[in-house]
Amino acid sequence: KSVMNPKRCAACRYLRRRCPKDCVFSPFFPPNNPEKFACVHRIYGAGNVSKMLQQLPVQTRAEAVESLCFEATCRIEDPVYGCVGMISLLQTQIQKTERLLARTQAEITVSQIKHSQNQHSEFM
Amino acid sequence: MSSSGSPSSSGGGGPCGACKFLRRKCVPGCIFAPYFDSDQGAAHFAAVHKVFGASNVSKLLHHIPEHKRADAVVSICFEAQSRLRDPIYGCVSHIVSLQQQVVSLQNELSYVQAHLATLELPQPPPATVTSSGSLPPLSISDLPTITPSMYDLSPIFEPMSSTWPMQQQPRPSDHLFGVSQSSSIGGGGEFQAIAREFLHGGQMSAHQPPPETGGSAPTVIKRE
Repeated sequence: KSVMNPKRCAACRYLRRRCPKDCVFSPFFPPNNPEKFACVHRIYGAGNVSKMLQQLPVQTRAEAVESLCFEATCRIEDPVYGCVGMISLLQTQIQKTERLLARTQAEITVSQIKHSQNQHSEFM
Repeated sequence: MSSSGSPSSSGGGGPCGACKFLRRKCVPGCIFAPYFDSDQGAAHFAAVHKVFGASNVSKLLHHIPEHKRADAVVSICFEAQSRLRDPIYGCVSHIVSLQQQVVSLQNELSYVQAHLATLELPQPPPATVTSSGSLPPLSISDLPTITPSMYDLSPIFEPMSSTWPMQQQPRPSDHLFGVSQSSSIGGGGEFQAIAREFLHGGQMSAHQPPPETGGSAPTVIKRE
């Protein structure tokens, strides 16, 4: 019978194993958020995440975990495109906004020319 | 990616790139065979395997309709390569960079549209008329300073915000933008390059990154 250690991190609880003191997951997967590890494990697998984190400097691991969680969540929501879908969406948005910006700037130019011409004709 | 020669399936042309990498027999109906040919496919699969693992990708592909799997493989390869190039942020840094661009452009657009509205109004009595009587030219220094302190993808990806784990964590700080500046991901060009490699042999569908009305795309795309 294994004693349930309430201090196990979410990863070790999910994996049903002891949570060692130097557990690579525990700083980033607190026990009060089991979904976070479940999400990452589903897409990458615990072994891959562990390897990736161990290859990173300690001070960068928190950011790495957040980005992995983000990408994993995107992939679960959209199994076909994952977060690449978001990239595509943003690129489309950028293109549309650039076109609108160009058009508006052209309208300003036209308006300024008309204004100049009107002023010129008033002075004549 | 797929050569124009024989299909990479295990019908007799040797193992597919994935099975070659895994050093296993490529069985008929191998889930990877249509997408990883035995040449460059092995290199692409190596990246995918390192980040996601073969069994995870296999499970993922099995749950995707067959006609969508080619797109899925391209996006998975893109994410895997992004993650190997930037082990900390993967392709998230590129997303942040793009979102910055969107915010910057939208601010610029608002400013320019406000300026246009001013021009199109009936001319009020001149309060600060210049000697030339014309409006001062716009310059970059006139634009409002954009200093977003945090990035927030929720306006773009609202349906996911309720399940987004990052919401439960402190938001990324400014230094994330610094990282995004150094992102090695080429963005759309990068993705297109990967897609072209896969589609070279014409074996897979010529699907581009998801259209705005993609069937399996998340709700946010439909909102576009």
